[in-house]
Amino acid sequence: MRGFGGLGHRILGGVETSRRIGAFTLITLGTLATKFGTSSRVIRPLVQQEILRSGVKVLPIVCFLGMALGLVIVGQTVLLLVQVGQTQLMGPLLVTVVVRELGPLTVAMVVLARVGTAAVTELGTARAVGEVEALEAMGIDPIHYLVVPRLIGFTVSIVSLTVYMVMTALLAGYLVAFLQGFPMGLGEYFRVIADAVSWVDFPLLALKTLAFGMLTSLIICYHGLAEAMRLEDVGHATTKTVAHTMVACLFVDALFLPVYFLI
Amino acid sequence: MEPPVIEMLDVTVVHPRSPRLPLITGVNWKVAEGECWVVTGLQGSGKTALLETAAGLHPYLGGEVRVFGVVVPGNEGGELEKIRRRIGMVFDGAGRLFSSRTVFENVALPLCYHGNHGLDEVADEVMEFLARFGLAAMADQPAGRLGRAWAHRAALARALILRPGLLLVDNPLTGLDASHSRWWRSFLLELLAGHPKFGGKPMTLILATDDPRALLGVGGRFAVTHGGRWRCVGGRSEFEGCEDPDLRDLLHDSD
Repeated sequence: MRGFGGLGHRILGGVETSRRIGAFTLITLGTLATKFGTSSRVIRPLVQQEILRSGVKVLPIVCFLGMALGLVIVGQTVLLLVQVGQTQLMGPLLVTVVVRELGPLTVAMVVLARVGTAAVTELGTARAVGEVEALEAMGIDPIHYLVVPRLIGFTVSIVSLTVYMVMTALLAGYLVAFLQGFPMGLGEYFRVIADAVSWVDFPLLALKTLAFGMLTSLIICYHGLAEAMRLEDVGHATTKTVAHTMVACLFVDALFLPVYFLI
Repeated sequence: MEPPVIEMLDVTVVHPRSPRLPLITGVNWKVAEGECWVVTGLQGSGKTALLETAAGLHPYLGGEVRVFGVVVPGNEGGELEKIRRRIGMVFDGAGRLFSSRTVFENVALPLCYHGNHGLDEVADEVMEFLARFGLAAMADQPAGRLGRAWAHRAALARALILRPGLLLVDNPLTGLDASHSRWWRSFLLELLAGHPKFGGKPMTLILATDDPRALLGVGGRFAVTHGGRWRCVGGRSEFEGCEDPDLRDLLHDSD
């Protein structure tokens, strides 16, 4: 009974956290809409800084992981399909695994690990030492100054990095297969993959990566800013951020499954 | 007629981290334009919370707080932000500067944000301002590397850059050496007399301190927080002559 009680407690806690993150999201989107263009000379450089930090600087590791993914998964899958004489499945398989699932999810996780944890520590520390109150005291909306640039920056970065991740994985996969005698030219390889891509895949991929970017940034900012915090709570906030972001991204990923089944 | 700069009516000031925990009850206080109030009390008596409540940064239980005639909080959004631009707040210690940004960036931020300017556009004005505060040579240093006394001075520069009508300073002289203390006292007196840089009008000042002796020559009016209660004592002579044992505790360190 105690086990069920604990489970119930955790579920209710999860629902409450989701509700709060939802409220935080609405406040942030409201701020984004009402203050769009306000203090642009201050906010724009902050957005650029976030894109540099969560996008440009993460690009090398994303390309490296894309190559690893290509070498380990794509290359082997392609060769296996050749061995069993099922090369017609190559396109749908790679589109489903790399383009629709692994690409966006891996990028979201990389950005979370590489930049997100640092961001939540930075925001949590700012909250704990009173820098957020100092902003408020100057009449600067902390959501506008601290959250909006991260929301835009992380979202743009995750959307863009996913394209790089997918392309690198597919290229590296072809390279491995080619070196092991894969009987197909690069042009034909990409034509097979392109044939397997439906037009709906593009808006869906954009939607999914947008959702991952927004979720990641909002959960990071929520845990860093939304609750009163002492310095010793910052580590705990970082751990919670990682767990909540992973669960949220997987949940959103699962929501896309029925749509993909219908395609 | 101009409304009081700050008006508190039967306000209960709460703990900043526990909004249900009262720190000071029954605060009735009117601050008129150009007055200088020294709010004193023992450490932990709620002076900082009172200042932050007056700046509209904290909720309170019961009563009503009006700043420049507007109820705060309660006018969230644009109205509250406008009011906050008319208030300069210098926090305790290192002044809560953004430690990773330079002194120049810290002081320029309110100007850039509210005026939608780039840093280069406000450079002359900010550098002139920093020079007035003796900070010009430290403009490019990260604020986190400043000593406490200089950081506190930089926080004062940041609080004044928008030319506010009301300045709230938490523990202005705590931990300062004689030279910095002299500078602060003389600068506060200049503000009170009407500094030409700030429109020549006497600025309304509220200074919180746990050692009121150092500010006896600056403050015009004195108030005390003690044991969760609030008391406006009056001018310097009433304050010094008060026979209340709690007040005597604050003014004299020998038995």
